[in-house]
Amino acid sequence: MFGAAHASDEVGSNDKGETALLGLIELLASSEDEVRIEAINELAKSGAPTLEQFFELYRQGSVYNWPDEDGAVRIVVNLETVMDDDFNEFAPLLEPLTGKPYLVGGKQAKPDLLDLEDISPSRKLRSLVNSSKFLLRLFSPDPEVRLSGIKKCGDPPFIADAMPTLVEISNDPTQDEKIRWTAKESMALIRFSTSSAEAGNLDSRISALDQLGQLKSLRALARIESFEQEIQSLLDGNEISTGYFASAMESIGSVKGKLDDHRDSIELAGNLFRGVSYGSVLILIALGLAITFGLMGVINMAHGELVMIGAYATYEVQMFFAHSPDNTVDHYYLYALPIAFLASALVGLLMESVVVRHLYNRPLESLLATWGVGLILIQLIRIRYGDNIGVNAPTWARGGYEISQDVILPYARLYLLALCGACVAFVYFVIRKTRMGMLIRATMQNRDMARSLGVRTRNVDRFTFALGSGIAGVAGYGWTIVGGVTPDMGTKLFIVDSFLVVVTGGVGELAGVLCSGLGIGILTKLVEPLEFGDFTIGPVWGKVILLALIVAFIQYRPAGLFAPKGRLSEKK
Amino acid sequence: MKGGSQEALIKSKRAFSVLAFFAFFVLPLLYGAGFLSIGDVNMLGRYMTFAILALGLDLLWGYVGILSLCQFTFFCLGAYAMGMHLAHHGGPEGIIDAEGWKIPACLFVVYPYEVGEASGDALVPGFWKPFWNLPLTVLLGLAIPGLVSFALGYLVFRSRVRGVYFAILTQAIAVASWLVFCRNDVKLCGTNGLTRFDVIAPKESITTFNPVDAKDQWLASHGNSMEYDLNKDGKLDQLDYSVAEVGFSLSSAEVQLALYFITAICLFGAYLLCRWIVNSRLGKILLAIRDDEPTLHFFGYKPHVFKIFAFCIAAVLAGLAGMLFVPQMKIVTPSNMEAYRSLLVVVWVAVGGRGTLTGAVLGALVVNLLYNYLTSEHDYGLFAWSPDYWPILLGLLFLGVVLLLPKGLVQLGQRFSSDKVSGSDAPEEGAKT
Repeated sequence: MFGAAHASDEVGSNDKGETALLGLIELLASSEDEVRIEAINELAKSGAPTLEQFFELYRQGSVYNWPDEDGAVRIVVNLETVMDDDFNEFAPLLEPLTGKPYLVGGKQAKPDLLDLEDISPSRKLRSLVNSSKFLLRLFSPDPEVRLSGIKKCGDPPFIADAMPTLVEISNDPTQDEKIRWTAKESMALIRFSTSSAEAGNLDSRISALDQLGQLKSLRALARIESFEQEIQSLLDGNEISTGYFASAMESIGSVKGKLDDHRDSIELAGNLFRGVSYGSVLILIALGLAITFGLMGVINMAHGELVMIGAYATYEVQMFFAHSPDNTVDHYYLYALPIAFLASALVGLLMESVVVRHLYNRPLESLLATWGVGLILIQLIRIRYGDNIGVNAPTWARGGYEISQDVILPYARLYLLALCGACVAFVYFVIRKTRMGMLIRATMQNRDMARSLGVRTRNVDRFTFALGSGIAGVAGYGWTIVGGVTPDMGTKLFIVDSFLVVVTGGVGELAGVLCSGLGIGILTKLVEPLEFGDFTIGPVWGKVILLALIVAFIQYRPAGLFAPKGRLSEKK
Repeated sequence: MKGGSQEALIKSKRAFSVLAFFAFFVLPLLYGAGFLSIGDVNMLGRYMTFAILALGLDLLWGYVGILSLCQFTFFCLGAYAMGMHLAHHGGPEGIIDAEGWKIPACLFVVYPYEVGEASGDALVPGFWKPFWNLPLTVLLGLAIPGLVSFALGYLVFRSRVRGVYFAILTQAIAVASWLVFCRNDVKLCGTNGLTRFDVIAPKESITTFNPVDAKDQWLASHGNSMEYDLNKDGKLDQLDYSVAEVGFSLSSAEVQLALYFITAICLFGAYLLCRWIVNSRLGKILLAIRDDEPTLHFFGYKPHVFKIFAFCIAAVLAGLAGMLFVPQMKIVTPSNMEAYRSLLVVVWVAVGGRGTLTGAVLGALVVNLLYNYLTSEHDYGLFAWSPDYWPILLGLLFLGVVLLLPKGLVQLGQRFSSDKVSGSDAPEEGAKT
């Protein structure tokens, strides 16, 4: 006892909880099994995260008792020994909880190996120690850790020792709803899986199975399948008559059907959300195109590169704030939004005044020239930054919101959706509700008339192109939290798809971009997971099918969903 | 205008004769005299296949005003046809399947086995089999791009998809077909592509339609002698006689020179065909589509028929170019189909001079020779050139051609020549495209 106090004094972190833990740890040196079991259980209940490492060391037999001169217990950890010239082995000691060097008189204690007393757990204790590693998490103050611990108990190897604790948790009204549900699920899984299919256990397994069905536990599907195989092998071996299992098979069938339905509806919901999310990315990128292509008639093949510039601007802001996984500065992401917009808008402005302004009304030439600009931008970025950079998403973008059981919406995707909505609203506001927007519309409808009425059409052109480019930059900024950033991301990922969105939607209409973006997004994600026998459609064939659909669609509506009507349609 | 096009005809005949003189006499002489290596000749041969490709696009874009961004996809359809043919006959590598067909090495290394399928169960895919026979391969290599372009053109032009929309659509098709050809389960060797060819035109590839007949034919003339068991596996099979039945080695200088001449002949054939089309009445209609399609439509013509025709000719020429390219390059991979490759063809045409035919040939050769030179390192004393700068230069070339030289190198040539007659059918600057 004195030894522990002594050691703590040396370390200088005499926390009350830690002292209690050290007291319990010292009981491990006891010769009586009951005392040790009691100590291990008490330790597990503490839920201290540092104990996980300790239990592992204890199980491996790296924990020793090093009695002091008075014979008092001192629990220490030794990982490896050193040898002097006379072949005496010495053991450098570590603190059991912190893993720091065990200090005596300011130096790391290094007693002779023979002075250490081996207290490694007996065979009987070892499994308890092992499961305590998981039990420990059930008592953790952090709900995330607690949840993962509870989940782990229901996975193979099933931790039967956790049952009493799980019962407690599932009945504890102070616990989170999700945690209680998971505890029930894990309990049922443990009950279902730790007994064999032999006659006597069947009833308890079936009742656990029903419970799993009621809980709609997706994790149970794999277990149920192996249970079916088990029964099948028993039947094949003629060990038990078929009649005995008839009712069991029936309830397996009904539970499995229920779970399959649940899984299908969840997959459908997941695919729909993925579709909406993909659609939001498409809309974000196509929105800028709808301005430069739809309003101005300029085929900007460098649009993808403007998206890329936005992503690299975000990266630069991250570097400026020194945000990294170890040193999180989440608010960098807030500042990156306007900077990404401005960076791309500036590049767009430059492009407009050097290249694009010579090419109004010559769409095919503008396609070639802007593609050349894109090539130059890609290569400049590649020479400056190399082929790959890491943009670290802000910490809040990790994880997701569980909207209903097993349907998780990642925060990053939700943010992208919100960003997309905000951009659409912003563009709508600028074009429809501001004076500048009115001038833009006037210039695009009849340039000569607008000019004769005193509109400075050159400035309007510049502004419009910069606006479209800036929105592209925002798309790149949003992309950094869900995908990778490379110099050729624009050409590789976006440009063709986003042009298809604009073409399908009908040129010059925001509503067209919204509808076709969402439509293409959802359709893609619904088509991709379809299966025909052994053949899954997957992303490549999905793209081919989508393209075929678009070609077919163009047969009926050559000018897209929202075609311009009347005299305007003749212009394009 | 009449006089102008007469002048143009005379000038283009002059340019044509000069180019032909270079291709058929000067270059072989330089090679014979040792100034050019066979590698250089081979390289020029490959660039001439690109010139055929560019001719097709010039007919389509320069004369009809349709910008197709999937020409390299058609090129690859021809190239893969020839690639499959060469892989059938190319050397002993491979395994013999249950039906007596050789699965070429390039295919079986990426064969998409099903779960539980052993390598012994693999069969040569059915669609590979027609490409055993050389004349049939040539026919298919022209017909497949032609049919694909016809189907596409029929669907697209009939619904009056025009200009930019067509360009974007074809680019999407280029991307999609690239993704499909990259997959192993379409059994076209995935991203590795078709390779390991060493033989072209052995007797069996002309006289027979499958390896079983070829084997019989070979046994009939050679007897069942085990001295031909070249890979020493104790039995005579296709792996042996494909070595013994020597065609022409693709790595020999004579064959490479011959392929160069065949390419040159095809190039000038293609040029004459395109020249004939644009000088005929048909060519006038094509020009009319470019310059004012609604009016032509109003006169009772059906523009989509002519557009489909031009699109098919361009695709067939692309397929021909692809077929000539593979034996000279000895590999064809899906990377040729990437979207930017088809845009490159547009650059060649634009650099040379759109709507001149001669310009397309010139542009393809010049840009590719430039590419060849500038993608290696050079030290100019004051300035060290790195291949990293090439894309930037290419981008500037794009801008320069579009902004400063809308009629390309041909226009540059005209500036220096004394007569002021417009020597081409190139669209006026700023014309509606």
